[in-house]
Amino acid sequence: MAVIEVGREEARELSLRQRWSHYLVIGYVLVMFLIALNMRDSTLYATVPYQDVRAGVRVLYPQNWLLDTSGDYIFRVRDMTSPDFKTTILIQIQPISPVTTARNLLDNLSLSRSQSLSGYRQFPRQEVTLGEDIAATSMAYTFTFSEVDPFLQSVPIPVQGLDIVVIQREQAVIITFQASAERYDELFPYFETFLADLEF
Amino acid sequence: MMNFFRILKPFWQTLNSKRRVVALFTLMLVGIFPVASSYAQESVPTPVDIESSFDLERVKRATVFIMQARATTNAPIITCISSGTLVSRDGLILTNAHSTVPGENCPGDTLIIALNLRDNEPPVPLYRAEVVQANPGLDLALLRITRQNDGRLVDTASLSLPFVELADSDAVRLDSTVTLIGYPGLGNDPISVVRGTINGFIAEPSGGTKSWFKTSTPVPGAFSGGGAYNQDGQLIGIPTTAPIAANSPEANCLILQDTNGDGQSNSADACVAVGGLINSLRPTNFVRPLLRAASLGIQVSIPTMTAAAGQMQTSASGTPRFRRMFFAPAVNEAGMPTTTIRSLPAGSTGLYLFFDYENMTPETVYELRVTIDGVLNPIYGLSPVRWSGGRSGSWYVGTTEQPLPNGVYDFTLFINGVASESQRLLVGQSVSAPTFTDIIFGLEDLQGNVLGNGFVLPVGTTASARFIFRNMENDTPWAAIWYREGNEIIGSRTPDGTVWQDGEQGIKTIRIQSPTGLLPGNYRLDLYIDGRLAATSNFTLAGAQQGSFARIFDNTHFATADTPDEAVNAPPVTSFPTATEAIYALFDWEQIGTGTLWTMQWYIDEDLFYEQTIPWFAPQSGEDFVVQVMGRDTLPDGTYRMELRLNNLLFASQSARIGIGLLPIDRFAVTEGIQMRGTILDAVTNQGIPGATVFIITEDFSAADFTRDWQQDQIFDLSVTDSSGFFQIDRLLQPGIQYSIVIVAQGYLPITADAVEFVPDDNPVDIPIYLTRG
Repeated sequence: MAVIEVGREEARELSLRQRWSHYLVIGYVLVMFLIALNMRDSTLYATVPYQDVRAGVRVLYPQNWLLDTSGDYIFRVRDMTSPDFKTTILIQIQPISPVTTARNLLDNLSLSRSQSLSGYRQFPRQEVTLGEDIAATSMAYTFTFSEVDPFLQSVPIPVQGLDIVVIQREQAVIITFQASAERYDELFPYFETFLADLEF
Repeated sequence: MMNFFRILKPFWQTLNSKRRVVALFTLMLVGIFPVASSYAQESVPTPVDIESSFDLERVKRATVFIMQARATTNAPIITCISSGTLVSRDGLILTNAHSTVPGENCPGDTLIIALNLRDNEPPVPLYRAEVVQANPGLDLALLRITRQNDGRLVDTASLSLPFVELADSDAVRLDSTVTLIGYPGLGNDPISVVRGTINGFIAEPSGGTKSWFKTSTPVPGAFSGGGAYNQDGQLIGIPTTAPIAANSPEANCLILQDTNGDGQSNSADACVAVGGLINSLRPTNFVRPLLRAASLGIQVSIPTMTAAAGQMQTSASGTPRFRRMFFAPAVNEAGMPTTTIRSLPAGSTGLYLFFDYENMTPETVYELRVTIDGVLNPIYGLSPVRWSGGRSGSWYVGTTEQPLPNGVYDFTLFINGVASESQRLLVGQSVSAPTFTDIIFGLEDLQGNVLGNGFVLPVGTTASARFIFRNMENDTPWAAIWYREGNEIIGSRTPDGTVWQDGEQGIKTIRIQSPTGLLPGNYRLDLYIDGRLAATSNFTLAGAQQGSFARIFDNTHFATADTPDEAVNAPPVTSFPTATEAIYALFDWEQIGTGTLWTMQWYIDEDLFYEQTIPWFAPQSGEDFVVQVMGRDTLPDGTYRMELRLNNLLFASQSARIGIGLLPIDRFAVTEGIQMRGTILDAVTNQGIPGATVFIITEDFSAADFTRDWQQDQIFDLSVTDSSGFFQIDRLLQPGIQYSIVIVAQGYLPITADAVEFVPDDNPVDIPIYLTRG
């Protein structure tokens, strides 16, 4: 059996210019990918400033979240596109006496929530630091959210929440984050970003 | 279909032809045509044909079933049931007091509220409620939803329940169409709608000529507390009947549960009393003060009224009874009979049955049955209802505005299901008999004129009565007898054998005198002709003399303080700051006899929110009678006025202002408008999208404004779709206003629309909206 080689072409090395062209294309793609990632993050985590001079609070909250300052809180934003529980960030300010501790406040919060929230359960509290040097106490908890309107038929949604209490200048600042338990970890970066930008 | 295009017209006109093609394609994509087809398919099955302006579905949703229950270690025991109606979006429920306020016959401690979630299904228990205002005599109560059925607190501010509006019940006329809505059974039956007409009015001292409406169509006893509506879907009355006590042989009592835990459900168990058929409605104008006080959270109290004094009004030691029944053709402004009659001419339209009562309590059930020529006539009678007249006194039940057919009328009064007294009257017979009419009381001047306000005289040594006489003949025996607190005043009776000497017709004045002075209190004068009661009237002696009038209340003023005791020494105030927690009204009083009925009324911005008539319990004269007015948290801004009355006559009035002196406007207290609801669907799969948010933007902002700022205060109302994609905008949309709509859902392209207008012809608006994945 004979092997016949037909028109075999010799391998040619890339020129320096071609080689750099390839590197540039790859680099360009990488840069564009990074820009796209950045743009995506900028869109997803875009923020809007809000300031309450009377309460002395300045925040950057996620863009396109519904801002409400009409309740018994100074600030509340909700992501109304959430498919289940509407992810919420809330700031309340309460005047306190010199002897009131963060534990007292969290106890009160727990008592009132256990009266109104279904399946309310709190987790151990932790001492945390906000920013570089603000001492705070956090408390995680869960409850089951049910639609208020009795004429709508919604399945109750497990919700996870986190309170952060800071006591300063005879007032307590309570920062609350609540999200669907199923997507809590996925949504928590919004709250971390919010906390990082919070000034009070 | 045409209405739908009318909604889109303003938007369509802003587009050029090319954009119209794009818009048409987009509309097809998002499913507008299915929307249109749904308009064609829409039909609300109802058992009766209701006018289009009557939002029957909304009214049915606002009708609740109420169970009063007693907590036990096991399951709660149902003690009483009734229907009720939501009258505010934050959960105020109007119903009867007899089935909700804890008492001897309804000893429960928990009120369970069941809602009509789906048509043609029994109500579903969802909430618990508390009584916030009640008038046991009028048999009205207002409940507030406070908890979920599992005991969790309800944030009432977040509630947005369907509710109904109260009509002006004084505007109801004979033969008006009425729609009655309630639950016919013990919670096992779906809501029921019954149509009829108003075929009579019943008068009582507590509410004038329209104290009760009579309906042509009787409804089951469990309807009690429900609603009766005019053709505009406004509440005109509350079907009311009080079941007779369960231990009475007349009672209609149903056994629901094994209450004694013996493993059997039998006659040994406690039962739930249900009244008989109802054809009496309590008009809604009686509800307004209670509703105003409940919605504003205002409570009026008399701190000095001891528990014993309070109990004096609501309890009685003896057996309740009626006596001294007689008839009158009319009553005067003080609620007194103009004269007494034994027959009426043909074509008469007014008739009043008067009687005295003793030992009555708000728990006593009374009933009036009327037969004409031996046949029971429901129009002129009164089905069993709670007593609203206090412990003892004089009362009447009257009928007006409807011609009385000729015949022999027999009136029988019942107490707790047992016949008490009867009286007969002939209609169609005109007799020209001697009569005394129109007694009024006062003080005589030197010319013999009787001066004063007619029925309240200052305390002194004399009291005069003036009356008209007709068809009298001289030498006819007649008599006058004066009474104080129901007892004949010794020496007041005309001497035996007194005969008439004043001619055929005219005006006569008689008087009672006491050299030592007449005591303050309640008086009555009976006039007889030939041994027959011809006229009778009551009057009150109270206060010091000021000309011909009585000065009873004085130095009326307002004050602010932390306690009632501090209020006595506080300086008078006429203007209070916003967010005042409590105000006090103080007054001095003179010569008021114990047991004298007096009325205190409170108004805010000229609207009555409190009225109570109680027997006087304080000493005869004194200073600084304290009345406390408190808010749930704080008192709302407004102009407050207190009025003090005796025998319907005003004797003192004082006003004060809180804050700006005007009540804040409740933007949500609107029951007229268009209900918008629908389903958000995936354009590809046709499946409902849960968790989508529908924003209705107020007319001041566009969709672009809203999606730039995402501010809550730009929203008219919003709704989040349920697990099937269904949504409902609870706040009613107003015709002629252009709204913007924004719909968002994660994973889908948002939809926005500006200048959307709704027309009342399509109510409720029910639309499917399709979203495209993006």
